[in-house]
Order: sequence, then C-alpha cells, then structure tokens
Amino acid sequence: MKIPRFSRKTLCIPYAVFLIFFVIVPMLVILFYAFTDRNMHISFSNFIRFFSDPTKLSTIVYSLVIALITTVICLVIAFPVAYILAHSRMKKKFVILMLFVLPMWINFVLRVNALRELFNLFSSLDGLEGLANANYFKTVFGMVYDFLPFMILPLYTTMLKIDRSLYEASYDLGAGAVTTFVRITIPLSMPGVMSGVTMVFLPSMTNYVVSDMLGNAKVTIIGKFIYEYFGTDWHMGSMVALVLLIVVFVSTWLSGGFKSEENVRGTTL
Amino acid sequence: MTRKQLGASIAAALLFLPSLSVLGGCGAKSAKIVLRVYNWEEYIDDGGSGTFIYDELHELDDEGNPITENGKHVHIDSDIVDENYKAWYRETMGKELSEEGPEILDDFCLWYEKEYGQSIRVEYSTFGTNEDMYNEIVLGNEYDLLCPSDYMIMKLAAEGRLEKYDESFFDKSEKNNYYVRNVSDFIADKFENNAGLEVRNDENGEPILWKDYAAGYMWGTTGFVYNPAYVDAEQLDELGWEIFTAPAYKGKITAKDNVRDTYFAALGVTYQEELCALQEALEAGDIDSAAYISEVTKIFNATDDETIARVEPNLMDLKENVYSFETDTGKADMVQGKIWLNYAWSGDAVYALDLAESGADEDGEDSGSVLLNYYVPEAGTNLWFDGWVMPKGANKQAAQAFVNFLSMPQNAMRNSYYIGYTSVIADEEGKMLDYAKYLYEDEETDDPVEYDLSYFFGEGASITADIEQATCRQLYAQFPPQSVIGRSAVMDYYDEGASARINELWARVKAETLDAWAIVVICVTVAAIAVFVLFVKFGAKIDFGRKPKKGYTLVDQKPLR
Repeated sequence: MKIPRFSRKTLCIPYAVFLIFFVIVPMLVILFYAFTDRNMHISFSNFIRFFSDPTKLSTIVYSLVIALITTVICLVIAFPVAYILAHSRMKKKFVILMLFVLPMWINFVLRVNALRELFNLFSSLDGLEGLANANYFKTVFGMVYDFLPFMILPLYTTMLKIDRSLYEASYDLGAGAVTTFVRITIPLSMPGVMSGVTMVFLPSMTNYVVSDMLGNAKVTIIGKFIYEYFGTDWHMGSMVALVLLIVVFVSTWLSGGFKSEENVRGTTL
Repeated sequence: MTRKQLGASIAAALLFLPSLSVLGGCGAKSAKIVLRVYNWEEYIDDGGSGTFIYDELHELDDEGNPITENGKHVHIDSDIVDENYKAWYRETMGKELSEEGPEILDDFCLWYEKEYGQSIRVEYSTFGTNEDMYNEIVLGNEYDLLCPSDYMIMKLAAEGRLEKYDESFFDKSEKNNYYVRNVSDFIADKFENNAGLEVRNDENGEPILWKDYAAGYMWGTTGFVYNPAYVDAEQLDELGWEIFTAPAYKGKITAKDNVRDTYFAALGVTYQEELCALQEALEAGDIDSAAYISEVTKIFNATDDETIARVEPNLMDLKENVYSFETDTGKADMVQGKIWLNYAWSGDAVYALDLAESGADEDGEDSGSVLLNYYVPEAGTNLWFDGWVMPKGANKQAAQAFVNFLSMPQNAMRNSYYIGYTSVIADEEGKMLDYAKYLYEDEETDDPVEYDLSYFFGEGASITADIEQATCRQLYAQFPPQSVIGRSAVMDYYDEGASARINELWARVKAETLDAWAIVVICVTVAAIAVFVLFVKFGAKIDFGRKPKKGYTLVDQKPLR
C-alpha cells in the first residue's frame, strides 16, 4: 500500500481554498455587480453616477478626514505610551500593557454602548449640554477609544526590538536625548507606526457602528453608505465598496504597507 | 492542552456545528414535515418569564419581575388565563398548561400532530428589516412563511414571488380555519381592497389582491410618544407634523433611521396644509370619505421629482432639528427624559409608555415613574400591517395551518401581549375584546368614557375607560379610534425609478455634501500629496540630469547590501 505523502504544498490547500472562496470570488462578485445594472447587463452607469454625485464624493472626503483625525490622535497618544512601556525597567510593565489591551477583549458593541451611556451622563451636567449634539466629536472619540490598542501594540513590539547598544552608541558619540530620539527611536519605530496607522486608519473609515451609536446616526461615513445601498441597490453598493477598496489600496501602497518587511503586527499578547 | 484534548475539542465543535443551523423552533428531528418560518425579531411569544401565561400566573412586582417567597415563585389565579383558558389549552395541545409559560412554536407542533396526524418541526429564523428579508428571498433562500409589512407584501406579490392562499383557507365552515373566522372585518376589508392601493403583476399586468396572498398578523399606526411635562398637548395639535421642524423642539425629537418612515414624516410636514384642507372638505361634505382617503394615500405615496424637490428642504430642516435618527434607542432616551418626542410605531409606543410608567428603564433599574403620552397628527398618519405570506415553493398546507393556529384568540393574546402590537384577530365570541377590556377597562375612574371600537370588534363593542387612556395613552395607541384610522394612509411600494430617487434623496439628507469647489480643492491636494510621496520614494532613482559638483566626478555605484 502506498502511503500518501504530504508535502508542504499540500498543507497550503486549506488556505488556498479559503482564499479562493472567501477572498477572490467575493471580490469578483463585487466587481461584477459594480459594473452591471439591474438587468445584469454590463453598464458604467453606477460608475458615472458615483463620480458625478457630490454627496458620495463628499462622504468619502468626510470619512477620510474622520479616519485621519482618529489616526493622528491615536498616534499621539500611543507613541509615548509605547515608548515608556518599552523602555521602563518595571517588573510589572506587563500589567500596564494589559490595561491598555484588555478593552480589546471585551465586546466592541458593548464598549461603544457603555461610552454612549457615559456621554449621556456627561451631557446631563451643567455646562456640558453641548455634548449631546457634538456628533462628530463623539464619533472620533469613540473611534480613538476603540482603535487605540491597535496602535499601541505594533509600536510597542517594534520599540522593544530596537537594539539598546544603538542608544549607547548614540550617547557615546555625543548626541543628546533629543537627537537620539529623532535619529534612533523615530526612524527605527517607523515600521510599527506604519502598521499601526493602517490598522487604525482603514477600519475607522468604515466602522459605522460607532458613528451610528455615538453620532446619533447623523454622521454618515462611507461604510454606512455601503450598508444602506445593499438594502435596495446592490449595484451601487458594490460600486461604493469598490471605490473604497481602491482608496484603501492606494493609501496602503503609498504608506509602504506592501513591502515585505518584518512582520511587526504580531504581538506579544 | 495535549494533542488528544485538542482533537477532542475540535471534534466536539464540528459535532456542534450542524445544530447551529437551526436558529430555533421545535419538534423532533425525525419529523417528516419541516415548516420554515421567517419572521421579525422579537415578533412571537417565546415562552418563559415576560410572556403572557407566565406573567398572568405569577405574582409580579412593579418592574415585572416575579416575587419569591421562601425561594419559590408566588402563583396567582388570573382572570384571563382562567379555568376556561386552561381547559382550552388541554383540549388543543393535548396536555396540561405549564405555569412556566410554554413556547408557542412548541404548542403549534403539538397541535399540528394532534390535528393532522403528522409530526412537524418548525425552523424559525428572524430578520431585522423588510429589505434584509427581501434580499434573502431574492438570493434564493427557501422558506414556507414570511412576515413582511404591507409595502413589501405588494412588492413580493407584484414580482410574482408569492403563492396564493388556497380557496379552502377561506372556508368558514371548516373547523380549523381560525384565521378567516376570527379576523376582524376591518382588516379583512383592508385586505380585500388593498387599502385603496392598486397592485399589478409586473409580468402580465393583472391586478393583485392582498387577500389572495397575505393573511394579517399585527397592525398599527405611527405617531409620537411625548412627555407631557415638556410638551404642551395643545401646541402639539397646532403644529402637527411640523413638530419635526419646530425650533422649540430642536434636539428634543427623534426620527427613524430608515427612509420609508422618515420620508413619510417629511411628506406630512410638507403637505400638512393640503391634508388639512382635504379634511375640511370632507367635514363640509364636499368629498366623500372614499375620495378623501384616496387623496390622502396619494399624497403620502408621492415620489415624483416635483414632490421630492418640495420635500427635500423640509427633510434637511428635519435633520437639523432632530436629536437623532434611531431604530431602537428612542424608547430608552424617552424614558430617561433626554428627548421629549419620539416618532414611533404604535406597539413600541405602548411599550415605552408601559416602561416609563413602571418607573424602570430598559435594564430594569429604577429611574422614577414618568407618564408619557401618544399623539397622532390630525393631518393623518401611516396605517401599517404585517402579514403572513408564502413564497413560491412553500409547503402551503403547513404554512396555512400555522397561520390558523396563531389566529386562535387565545394565541393571538399571547403574541399581542409579548410584542405589544395589536393583533388582527377580533373573534366573534369576543375573547379578544375581553382581552382588550382586561387591559384597559376601568369603571371606577373619575372620568369614564365609552371608547367605541365597533369598527374593529364588531357592532356594539366598546370599552369603558379613563379619559386619558382613551385620548392619549396606551388604549389610544394600541386600539386607535376610528377617527385616527379614517385619516391614515397605507404605504405603497416603490418601483425601480422611485426607489432610486428616494435612495438618492436619503443619501443627500444623511450625508454632508461639500461644495463642488471644495471637492476639487481636496482632490487636487490629495493628488499633490500622492505625487510628493511618490517623488520621495522614487525620486532618488530618477536622474534629473544633475551635474556633479565642481571637482567631483559621478560614479555609478550600486548600494551596499
């Protein structure tokens, strides 16, 4: 009897099957729907309608701006945290890291709901009534709250890997703390920044649960559009999804996300 | 975890998977017949605490939680789940009524096997919106029974996706035809004339009657839940639909986060004067009630460009004015007092009123008792129905049996209690009227009024109720008086063109639109940034014809690896 031999290629089959059925085929379906009309004839009408409609273009702009602000705030908060954590000699820094990462393990809808209730509470206080209608502020706040761990973790793992002797060399050669930070820490943590940015920027363009729950559904981002169009008009919905895909692709490419650098998204937790 | 353990847990997970495919339901796995029901979420009695039988037979505190004594629940006698009810249950299901509240789907399986001699299994799944359900059907998911709303019934029927009910279903002499014997004449009428709307088959243009394709389940109106502590009822009467754009209520009112209901409301805002003029004409006798209602229906279903152009600015004002677009947070916001007015479906309104009165918020925490009211604009509102339809290829016999089973008044009560909406059932024996009386009759009140419900329950039916109940509270919401029904319009379905126009309108309203120049500026900026980034990345590789500095020579050097 011949014993079947498994090569490494055979082991790839499950993932290849998954890739074909759940990644490639759906993409083709989206492409097909985006360029057909209701009678399934090839048509560019959705394409033309999309790019001639100021509302849709504006929504993309708004989503980009919201995502950009969220990312910048996350970066500003996460960078010092990651830096301190990576450089501290505390024995229990694991605990502090856990405190930042722990919220990630609690259901996301639950957290957004809790935040909503907190805002309700605050907006009933004197002087804070304006909070009830500050929909954009609340949306960005919610997104920052949600995506912060995704920024901290890659930054932390990258900074942890920076060789300590580089710092020593820098000081030995007469560089001050600022120069060392600018010329050693920042350049060497760039891979972490890039992967953190992609992991925050992309979901915050589409995560309409946050904008619906915290923005009183008065803030519309591109993800909500896709959802609403898929209620009645799949073709337009697919077109919006396709445009978003291209925006995401271009921004990932520009930020160097496709370079085969060391994978820094893997985390210690 | 050892490898063995891992293997065992994976095997267990795989074994568990098939059972996930059945969302709910009942009956033995071996049952020959399977009935696949696709219904709204939370739209059927699912047994246990919080359902009719359980709540009637247990002593409850103010918040609806059972009271315990010595660790045991206190059982009480109910006026409505009485010996007769228990006897009916015994006879129908062939077993004793459990005080813990049986599930209605389990009961159906018992009844079906008893009546038709075959075992049956119900596969019950739920949807969140009519559009979700429609997509599932179009994708080819198979069900035997669906519960869409009026306009979706029309759309499905017009597209030829539905089976007709059998003629035998309408035979009143047949014992098990509970639906046709018990349905209210008011509902039956509406289903016979399509509530004044014309539906035609898309293929052959033949007229379609709802009655042939749908059996009613629940119905109601839309209106406003309001807090009388902040909102003056007289002012509300004066403003009507314009309450949505009234600056006095800015940030204190909510609209629905779906285009159908909010567009309807915006039509109300826009055409309030026309609607009131029609009403005056009706009162003066210039037009008859049929002409009046068809005009109202026409106004509330207009989707032409001219109408949209008129509605759009009002819809924009509405967006500015409302606190939020919501689908289910309105009730809690209302009870908490964060908003004063909530545009709501009547059943949700009843629920919110009950909740506020009991002094509990949705999580059952005490936040003080508040009395809320329900208001329907004078100019007219939306009258809606949810009905059972059978998609093509359904098991008609089992599906119709299910509809009939739910139409027994004893079961209609259970569902109505659980859902909070109004059942279409008004049986001749008056069991449903008794139920309504049980909920709302109050002869000891200081201001009793005779609340006439003859249009629904048949001649002479009325409830002696408190004047508040009859004019602005739960009774008024759950069983609207004829005056409200008389000025309400049913939603028509949108054809392709209308659907596209309305979607675009909704997108314009929900999203912010920038000026054209701003978009151009932003696009140019983005392009410039992209070019800059590209330049930084690849700039070094491009030779711009740079000359080496004086005294240097250019050497072609490969970078070090």
